[in-house]
Amino acid sequence: MWRFLHVVAIGALIASAAYVYSVKYQTIYASEQIVKTRHLIDKERDAIGVLRAEFAHLIRPDRLQALADGKLDMRPLALSQIVAADELPEPAAKVDSIGRKLESLGLLGQSATPSAGVGGATPSPR
Amino acid sequence: MAETSASAERPVEASPANALARVGRLQGMARALLSTRLDKSGGRLRLIALVALAAYLGIGGKLVALGLSHDPPQTLKVAAEQAASGARPDLLDRNGEILATDIETMSVFAEPRRIIDKDEAVELITAVLPDVDAKDLRERLGSRKGFVWVKRQVTEKEKEEIFHLGLPGVGFIPEYKRVYPNGRLGAHVIGFVDKDNVGIAGMEKYLDERSLTDPHVAGFAVDPAALKPVRLSLDLKATHALRDELAQGLEKFRAKAAAGAIIDVDTGEVVALESLPDFDPNDPGDVRDPEKIDRIDVGVYEMGSTFKALSIAMALESGKVGLDSRIDARDSLRYGHFTIHDFHAAHRVLTVPEVFTHSSNIGAARMALMVGVEGQQAFLKKMGQLDRLRTELPEGAEPLAPKRWGELNTMTIAFGQGISVAPIQAMMAVAALVNGGELIAPTFLPRSEAAAAALARRVVSPRTSESMRYLMRANATHGSAGAANIPGYYVGAKTGTADKIVAGRYSDDKVLTTFMAITPADKPKYLYFVMYDEPQALPGDDRSHTAARNAGRVAGRLIERIEPLEGAPPARQLPDQPFPLLARLGYGYDADKAGKE
Repeated sequence: MWRFLHVVAIGALIASAAYVYSVKYQTIYASEQIVKTRHLIDKERDAIGVLRAEFAHLIRPDRLQALADGKLDMRPLALSQIVAADELPEPAAKVDSIGRKLESLGLLGQSATPSAGVGGATPSPR
Repeated sequence: MAETSASAERPVEASPANALARVGRLQGMARALLSTRLDKSGGRLRLIALVALAAYLGIGGKLVALGLSHDPPQTLKVAAEQAASGARPDLLDRNGEILATDIETMSVFAEPRRIIDKDEAVELITAVLPDVDAKDLRERLGSRKGFVWVKRQVTEKEKEEIFHLGLPGVGFIPEYKRVYPNGRLGAHVIGFVDKDNVGIAGMEKYLDERSLTDPHVAGFAVDPAALKPVRLSLDLKATHALRDELAQGLEKFRAKAAAGAIIDVDTGEVVALESLPDFDPNDPGDVRDPEKIDRIDVGVYEMGSTFKALSIAMALESGKVGLDSRIDARDSLRYGHFTIHDFHAAHRVLTVPEVFTHSSNIGAARMALMVGVEGQQAFLKKMGQLDRLRTELPEGAEPLAPKRWGELNTMTIAFGQGISVAPIQAMMAVAALVNGGELIAPTFLPRSEAAAAALARRVVSPRTSESMRYLMRANATHGSAGAANIPGYYVGAKTGTADKIVAGRYSDDKVLTTFMAITPADKPKYLYFVMYDEPQALPGDDRSHTAARNAGRVAGRLIERIEPLEGAPPARQLPDQPFPLLARLGYGYDADKAGKE
C-alpha cells in the first residue's frame, strides 16, 4: 500500500515538474515572441514613416502642379467656374435619340425583334 | 572555526603533542583577539586609524585622478546613445499634411581601440565611402576615444558594402534623420536641424526650446512613438500658391527679392509665409547668406504708404479728424528746408477718403501733426510698431525708429518714411485696424477665436476700425489698389511704394513695393501682404514700377487662387450693409462712391 502511494507520489512529482518546465519554457518562448513582434512593429512603424514621407514628397503641391501643367489638358480653376448648386440650370429632358433616328429612317417597327415584354422597350417621345 | 579546520587539515603529519600545543596557542590567540584589554587598545586604535586614513587617501587620490582625466571611460552603449541623434515630433500643417518627419537611417561608427590595422581600415572605408576624407578619417581613428563617427546617415547600399568589409571595431547604429518632404515650401517658418537633429532655426528650434523633442540626456530618453506631432497654423496649399505666385512675379518684374504672408485677422494665425530667395531645409547650405533671410520676420523696411493706414486711424481715433474733415493739400508742405510732395499731386483740398485713395503724403503729414509727436509715439507704441515683435520663431528684428523724434520725423513717419518695421509687425497693426480694433499677436501655431479673444488688446474703437475698412474698400474701387479688386470678394487694399535708401539717400529709381489687402472688407477674414524689392516696370506699364503694378497684381492673383482653397466661393452680390456704423452716421454705406470726385 505504502509502496503504491510512494510510486504515485513520485509519479505526481515528476509530472508536476515536467508541467512546470513546460509552462516555463512556453513563457520564455512567448516573451521572446513578444519581443520579436515588438521589433517587427517598430520596423513596420519605421517603414510606414518612410512611406508617409515618400508619399508626402510625391504629392507635394509644386510637383503636382508641374505634372498637371505638363501632362494634363486642363487649365487652372477660374472663379467664374464656381457656382452654387441652386444656380445650376435644370437638366434637359431625356430624349431617346437612337429611337428617333430609327423612326425618322422608317426602321422602327419593321424589325422582327420580339418585344422585351410589357413596358420593356423605351417609347420614343414625340 | 579556524581552529577546527586547522586541526582537521593536518592531523596526520604532526605528532599528537605538537597538535595539542598548536591548538592551545590558537585558542590563546583567539581569546586575545576577542578580549578587550586596556593596554592593547591604544595600538589597535592607531592601527585602525592608519588603515582608515590609507583607504580615504586612496579614494581621494582616485577622485582627483578621475577629475583630471578629460576623457572619462565610457561604455560603447552610452557613447552611442549620446552621439546618435534623437527623435523629433512630426510637424504638420493645419490640415494634417506632413511638413517635417523623422525617418530611420543607419550611421557608421568605429571604436578606434578595437581596430587592428588603422591604415587598412581607412583605405577600405574610403573605397566604399568616397565622400569621406581619408586624412580626416585617419586622424579620427588615431584618437584615443572609445567612439567616433565614420559617416552619418549612409544609404542602404553603402551600409551593405561596409558590412561586407567585415572590419572589426566598425559598426552601425540606427539614427533619426529629419526630412522635409515639401522642400522649400514654408522653409522659413519650419526652419531646419543640424546633423544631430537639433533645431537650428524656425519652428524646429522652437520645438527644442519648448522641450517638445527627445531631450537626449542620459536617463531622460523618450520613446519616439510617444512624441505627439505638432500642428502649425500654416496651410500647405495656400503656402504653395503664395510661393508660386511670388516666384512668377519675381521673374516677371525682375525684382531682387519677394516676400508675402497671409494672416487670419481674427486669430492672428499665419496661414502662409514665404520669402524669396529661400533655401531647402533638407540641405540648407549657407544659411548665413543675408539674401536668404526671412524678410517677413527678420527684415525691417520702411513700409511707405501702407503706413498711412496707421496715420489715418490714429487721426480718426484722436477725434481731431472725422471722415468728412478736409485736409489742405494744395501746395507742398514745407518744414525748414525740407519739402513734402505728393506723388500723385491733386493740388486741392482733400477729404480724408481722398487722402487715402490719392495716397497724399501732405495729407497724412498734416493729420499726424494734428495728433502731435507724443500722440504719434504713444499710438505707434500701442500698435506694437516700436518694439520687437516676439512670435514662436526664434528669429526677429528690432524696428528702427528715430532716436530724436521731432515734428519732421512725425511728418515723414506719417507716410511711412523714417521708421523701419518688420512686415509681420505692420501686418499685425493693419489686422488690428480692420478686425474691429483688437491687436492680436501673430502666431505660427493653431489658435482658436476664443484663445485669440483672451489675448486681444483693444487699440482702436470699432468705429475707427469700420472707417479703415471703408477706406480700404474705397481704395480698391477708386484708388490705387484696383489691381486686387477681384469680383466676388469685396476686397479692400492699400498700396505702398517706398523709395529705397541707397548710400544714405533716397534713390530715384529703386523702390520697395508693398501691398496689403483684406477680404472681404465688410467682415475681413484674411489679410494678404505682398512685397517686392526693386521690381522693374513691365513693358506695357509706361515705366511705372509702383506697388499697384507688381505687388498689387500678385495680391489679386493670390486672392483668386487662395480664397477658393480656403472654402470661400466668390459672393454673387455685394454685401447689403457693409458698414452699418458709418451708414448711421450718414456716410452712405456704399464705399464705392467715397473716392469719387
